[in-house]
Amino acid sequence: MPEPTCPVTVTINQLDQTIKSGDLKDPQNRRRAEEILELMRDIAWGSASSEHIPAMRTLAEEMLKERKAKACTDTAKMVSEVLAGHPECINSHIESHNCPTGDCVNLAPAPCQMACPAGIDIPTYVTLIGHGKDAEAIDVIRKDNPFPWVCGLVCTRPCEFMCVRGRIDKPVSIKFLKAFAAERAMSEGRYKNPEKKPNTNRKVAIIGAGPGGMSAAYYLTLQGHTVRVIEALPVPGGMIMVGIPRYRLPREVIDREVAMLEELGVEFLYNTRFGKDVTMAQLKKEGFEAFLFAVGAHTSYKLRIPGESDYPQVIDAIDFLRKVALGDRHMPGKKVIIIGGGNVAIDAARTSLRLGCGEVTIAYRRARSEMPADEEEVEQAEEEGIKLSFLTIPVEVVGKDGRLTALKCLRAKLVEREGSARKSPVPVMGSDHFMEADAVICAIGQEVDHQCLAELTDLKWTRRNTIDVNMASMATNIEGVFALGDAVTGPATIIEAIGGGKKAADAVDRYLNGIPQRNMPPVPVRRDKVNWLEVPASTKMVLKRPDMELLNLDRRRTMFQQVELGYSENQVREEARRCLRCDICRRCGDCVKVCRDQMKIDALQMGYLDFDHPVKTDFRLTEVKCIACGACAENCANNAMQIIDRDKERILSLCGTILNRQKLVYCEKCGAIIGPAKYLDYIKKRFDKAGQVTADHAVCDACARKKIAPFDTKSVPLKR
Amino acid sequence: MAFRRGQKVEVYKKSDDEGWKSYMDEFIGCHGIITDPDSTINDPDALVEVSLLDKGTHRLPQDCIRLLNAGKE
Repeated sequence: MPEPTCPVTVTINQLDQTIKSGDLKDPQNRRRAEEILELMRDIAWGSASSEHIPAMRTLAEEMLKERKAKACTDTAKMVSEVLAGHPECINSHIESHNCPTGDCVNLAPAPCQMACPAGIDIPTYVTLIGHGKDAEAIDVIRKDNPFPWVCGLVCTRPCEFMCVRGRIDKPVSIKFLKAFAAERAMSEGRYKNPEKKPNTNRKVAIIGAGPGGMSAAYYLTLQGHTVRVIEALPVPGGMIMVGIPRYRLPREVIDREVAMLEELGVEFLYNTRFGKDVTMAQLKKEGFEAFLFAVGAHTSYKLRIPGESDYPQVIDAIDFLRKVALGDRHMPGKKVIIIGGGNVAIDAARTSLRLGCGEVTIAYRRARSEMPADEEEVEQAEEEGIKLSFLTIPVEVVGKDGRLTALKCLRAKLVEREGSARKSPVPVMGSDHFMEADAVICAIGQEVDHQCLAELTDLKWTRRNTIDVNMASMATNIEGVFALGDAVTGPATIIEAIGGGKKAADAVDRYLNGIPQRNMPPVPVRRDKVNWLEVPASTKMVLKRPDMELLNLDRRRTMFQQVELGYSENQVREEARRCLRCDICRRCGDCVKVCRDQMKIDALQMGYLDFDHPVKTDFRLTEVKCIACGACAENCANNAMQIIDRDKERILSLCGTILNRQKLVYCEKCGAIIGPAKYLDYIKKRFDKAGQVTADHAVCDACARKKIAPFDTKSVPLKR
Repeated sequence: MAFRRGQKVEVYKKSDDEGWKSYMDEFIGCHGIITDPDSTINDPDALVEVSLLDKGTHRLPQDCIRLLNAGKE
């Protein structure tokens, strides 16, 4: 089992050990240490208040003042150092009931939140959306991601891969819920910026107005710093504006969210190339103290095959998409071949189709199952009429009179290679063939453009041709210079760039304020703890992830109109009810164990609790066997499983999912609640041999005692 | 491409690659899901994005991860 890293857990373990060892001989100081331990445990369990920290500090100071024994002073120093060294982490336990490391198990963030590179508090905003509080949901999202609308449409959604609901049927449609909430909040004029801190008069320059750079700009501006974003293109957004086609992400969405940054006070300087139109020396002269490079990876890899450079009809996908995004709507050719199997290849193909190309084919050297592009994107491309040619390796670009006429290709077969789990494409000799074409678009990957950073001669690069940074602080080897986004990771995801932007903003703020940098990346913080949505077990099981309605095919083949039409309001509210609230239930399985092994009832069919081997789950089955004894709720450390008496019923629920409700039976004598009939039967069977006391009458324990012991012990003393 | 989106993996060893940082030592033994494989160039040397159970999402060198239930994939 790995060692805990949470300062709260570590301190609890150390204090516990010291107290048990008996090294604290002085009774007064031992009591102080015990008090600190109790206070720390409150923090670990999420039951502490803001007064806990000063109280512990005072106790540690008192121990230090007395200077009685080494063990006492060591303990006091250890506590003081933890309190001084980890204020954010400890406050996170107290204020948002979140243990960033997950060591304090009942305060660990949900798997979806942990999976999000930006660390968005997903269970909270999904529940808020379920409650119909869309603007509040957007406020929660923007604490970790300033672009909820953009991400609601184009995020690669790692959260959905980790969604626990996916172990039961399909993951909650987190991405589209976010898009709906953002659109609704924007349309109602309730999409607001949070208040920023007072102006610090410190200036930060950010090079690159992509999602990473703009996220950093947003969080630094909120901290009160003056931020200028320098962008080579005439528009903001970077890859989200010029790399993602409009049918996936309408320009208005980007414009509206960028406008929020402008409203906050971020200054944008477009058509400005760093190193050419503006230099670092100039910026330093203007008073800029920190520099953040978020230049992206906009240079395409070359095919390195004969004929590639001989014909102007061989273009790279990134250039092509950029030109189209900036208004050049000319079709590249009538018969177009796109080389590659990633999302960029799909985007280039679907864009070509919308520009009027008659025949669009994607040539990919591996099989469909190996295709890295988003499955839904591939399906949509095929629906629109794009052809896919798998196991096809281009070997030469062929042309006549300066015009491209065909792409010479070889067929490939996948073979296993020694020492590798994956199959590699190997050309089949003699399988050469020509694919007719008048344009070839190359989409085999991008890299960082060194040219724009030529001024930074000392900047350290990795062997992958990316900027070398400390991943915890995003700091480069040059003081005051930070980097993030694709320039650091290589071509990656939007949400990764946004997470990097938030991380870099925190690091720059620390740098400007002289606060030491982190030694590991920050972990997600829970932003709120909202009430769960009450849902009957049958509804929880029956609700299915809705299918996305798409634009009709004719329009998809001819226009850049948004393809995914979004969910209806009803679909959104219902979808939010599928969330299992894993921020509250930590899936320890104690409820299942106690029901099966201790009570021998086995009413909880919850196979989703196991990540590696999930088996069948059906919340509806609980009602069949459950006796509403409450043993599961009693053993639930997080209060996720609850049993309550309401409206003459005993109700068992897990994070709002009502697993069982049974009519209560009342005492025939005094009217007190004695539990549901199933539970009473269970008790009766277990104590059958002890003799019948109440026959078939429903009486409470007190009345039963009165029946078998009718004597008043005061008037008739018991004989000894 | 060695890994595909959605595959369950295990971080089974430390990597000598420069992409492996010291804080990643605590990921050894963790299970997770590939969320963004090397998306275009199929380079076994590329860093891939993995969502690790209880540890967040990170880019890791491919030589330190292996498929879980490889037989069933």
